[in-house]
Amino acid sequence: MRGGHSPFKPRPRRSWRAPGELLNFTLYFLCAVLLVLSRIGHGAVTDARESFVDLTAPLLEAASTPVIMGRNAVSRAWSYSGLFGEIDRLKAENEQLKHWESRAKLAERNITHLRSLLNAVDEPALHFTTGSVIADARGPFLRSALVNLGRDQGVRIGYAVINGDGLVGRTVDAGASVTRVLLLNDLNSRIPVLVGHAGVRALASGDNGAELKLDFLPDGASVHPGNEVFTSGSDGVLPRGLRVGVVTGSPGAFRVRPHADLSALDVVSVLFFDAPALTRTDPPPIAVDRALSPSPDDTKVPAAVTSSVEPPPMDAEIKQAGASATTPVEGVAQAPQ
Amino acid sequence: MNATLPVLSVLVAVLATAAPWGLPAEATFILPLVVVMMVFCWRALPGTVFPAYLALLLGLLMDIVSGGPLGFWALMALIAASAGGRTPSLADSQDVNRLWLVWAGVAVLIAVISWLLGSLYFLRFIDLWPIALGAGASILLFPVVLRGVVWIKRGKLRPKLYRGWT
Repeated sequence: MRGGHSPFKPRPRRSWRAPGELLNFTLYFLCAVLLVLSRIGHGAVTDARESFVDLTAPLLEAASTPVIMGRNAVSRAWSYSGLFGEIDRLKAENEQLKHWESRAKLAERNITHLRSLLNAVDEPALHFTTGSVIADARGPFLRSALVNLGRDQGVRIGYAVINGDGLVGRTVDAGASVTRVLLLNDLNSRIPVLVGHAGVRALASGDNGAELKLDFLPDGASVHPGNEVFTSGSDGVLPRGLRVGVVTGSPGAFRVRPHADLSALDVVSVLFFDAPALTRTDPPPIAVDRALSPSPDDTKVPAAVTSSVEPPPMDAEIKQAGASATTPVEGVAQAPQ
Repeated sequence: MNATLPVLSVLVAVLATAAPWGLPAEATFILPLVVVMMVFCWRALPGTVFPAYLALLLGLLMDIVSGGPLGFWALMALIAASAGGRTPSLADSQDVNRLWLVWAGVAVLIAVISWLLGSLYFLRFIDLWPIALGAGASILLFPVVLRGVVWIKRGKLRPKLYRGWT
């Protein structure tokens, strides 16, 4: 062992001439630990994140307000630039819609008649509350948005989120006053869907791109570009029949272009759809007396009775989801057919 | 000069990145990289104080706001802080182009680490295109951001150190 370090002799201690190096190493190590804890979904990390997001919500809201105003101003200026063409387009579209209105009324009468013949049970009403997007998620991992609605408004994890165009995503974190919405195009998003008139079952999966992948289509399924895609509700989390998007691409590589513009969300509505699956996936809410309540005002309903199977209150105001609002509003909407 | 001004400017940038700008899905990597770039610039400027632990805290804030894995942007901010701290400062070199070149290397490194971490995190190869686009855009935006940082600090700098920048 001559000439070298003996394993039995203490090695010369390395002196940290620069304490900054040690600090830097500690900080890098801390990042690694946080990443691992985040990966395994440690409860402490999740709780701390929720609490902090609630704390920063007013700041985020203040920061987002001028941005949204500026965005709206730019889009308005763009629309003014093509005003005459837009008027012509709207006139043509209005003519088409009038035609569709008469057909829809006829179909509605037929459906009502047939349902009365069958003694069919009415579709359940869906309560909802509406709020504004206050922050976007940025990064290679996640496509999400923060909405100024939380458990105080009755929002829980797993609720569907829509805007005027269609499904936007679902809630994945719910703080007291802020909720995180996982967008449809997120890498972790999987939505069971029905495609086209035939109602072909498939899975719309996000890949962080603008469009969704259409997976698990049955062999020989009759799917064509332009087919409408709706939620199937077979996951027991999302209601059936929510508009998702239209099919694009070619056989073997079908994709779904969402109706909602996921990159420019402003006002969204959270549907209070308490499916049985939610009772297993959602941790106990902060306010116990609001558990599984159909709406924030209806807190006396037992947990076993969900809003989705109850008709809407007679005096409840019916509001269109996605209506323009800067503060949360609540309402009741008829479940989509 | 204490760390208040650099930290406040980066904090404002973090909050701004969280605002719903309406950027397309492919461009979502650009704004966070601007924040990381600001950390790099502040660390590279002479006479400024921007401790690495504050860079980590601001990165953590970005993680919390973005909803991504906790520690990801903190790590990126830390890498930028380390690189910025070791870069020959503008006072030494008086050469913005050299700093730009260093940032280009750091941006590529961050892009590669992001992609690897993302793929490891989800156990699948994530799309490289948004990350590459973000890194490329950040390299192009570097002079603008550096000028902004210098502008924030203006008044406490000797103009002769920054040829054509103040």
